[in-house]
Amino acid sequence: MQEQPNRRLRVLLAKLGMDTHTVGVTIIGHALREAGMEVIFTGLKQTPEMVAAAAIQEDVDVVGISTLSAGHTRNLPKLARLLREQGGGDKLLLAGGVIPQEDQPLLQAAGVHKIFTMGADTRDIVQYLEQWWAEKQASEAA
Amino acid sequence: MNDIAQGVLDGVVAAGARAIRWLDDRDPRGADLVRRIFPATGRAQIVGVTGPPGAGKSTLTDMLVTELRSRDLRVGVIAVDPSSPFTGGAILGDRVRMARHALDPGVFIRSLGTRGQAGGLSRSTHDACLVLDAMGYDIVIVETVGVGQDEIDVVNLAHTTIIVGVPGLGDEVQAVKAGLMEAGEIFVINKADRDGYQATQRQYELMLHLREQAAVARDAGWSAPLLRAVATSGEGGKAIADAIFAHRAALEARDGFARRSGLREREQTLAILRERLIARALGAQGQAVLAEAEARRIDPYTAAGKLLAQIDGKDDLA
Repeated sequence: MQEQPNRRLRVLLAKLGMDTHTVGVTIIGHALREAGMEVIFTGLKQTPEMVAAAAIQEDVDVVGISTLSAGHTRNLPKLARLLREQGGGDKLLLAGGVIPQEDQPLLQAAGVHKIFTMGADTRDIVQYLEQWWAEKQASEAA
Repeated sequence: MNDIAQGVLDGVVAAGARAIRWLDDRDPRGADLVRRIFPATGRAQIVGVTGPPGAGKSTLTDMLVTELRSRDLRVGVIAVDPSSPFTGGAILGDRVRMARHALDPGVFIRSLGTRGQAGGLSRSTHDACLVLDAMGYDIVIVETVGVGQDEIDVVNLAHTTIIVGVPGLGDEVQAVKAGLMEAGEIFVINKADRDGYQATQRQYELMLHLREQAAVARDAGWSAPLLRAVATSGEGGKAIADAIFAHRAALEARDGFARRSGLREREQTLAILRERLIARALGAQGQAVLAEAEARRIDPYTAAGKLLAQIDGKDDLA
């Protein structure tokens, strides 16, 4: 007799670059926790290399990046590439914060799956993740 | 499956991370995985770090990792934080204090939520230690959730348990109550640059003195040192690391290292057995018995007897 599996969505939240504005990412972290997810914080001033290493060690399903100080057109594609190179290509990469509309096609082409800009409702983020997680589990069970 | 187990044995980080995920999620593949890697375990020294919330366990762990790396040891860290008993969600933030080791290939840090387990650890913590052991990490540091007075499961898991205290928390009565004082092998007063350090130090000294007199400590051949630390500045790291190795040497001198590893496997066997027995007893019919108890139509002893009888293959009261 085997114990019942108890899969739980794991999300890494990180801030790339030098900005220290943590309010948004903290609020999102708590919203995800309230939705029953495990949220791993990595702290401030992270480089793409540090985030990729943490995402692999923690074996998260989702990597969420908060970026408010520009640099995202350089940092996010690099993170997406590092994740692919290190065996984390199946992880869902999300970005949020100050990301101009004109940068979004570039980021999505580079492997950022979804971008939540300023003013996004945490409930929408939770719903997006729950739906993605349900679909992922269904496809793995099939 | 074979790839993941082989990857663990080869020390591949992504494979080890996935193995821990399976075991934490109770994935059916986990049991076979442990079977494969188990022969390669038993080498790493498991070091518990425990203490009340806010004692600085994560920062102290970070300092210890730095010290152990300077001695060319590979270090695994399992950092446990509480899961919400209501939603099951968790904020796992211990990595924040260990960010400087993020890119060191000799360090593997994993955060775990307690997922409903009391006692300061997750049910999967033992399994995660086996994985890191099999991957070849020399020392595995297990940082518990902030604990109160009796959440000391870590002492059954670790070869060496470090109790971290801070000045100004509680009075003598608190220290007397604490099961923590009976359990640890190394005592550290962190934030020792703060007011109240000397009073706290005197309390700890008294407690440790009484403990030695009463010989309640598990290892009669080991006298628990009381060390001071200021983890944010790195003060005390060397002395703590020295004490960790001294304790290992003391254990090995009396064959205690392997014995402690064995006690750990014994505890884990019983834990797995409990879970599986409960799962078997609570089949479809078992749920009905449980509902009877919940409705207060039968008492808990009768209900448990009926559930046990189901495992025994009988159909009525045991």
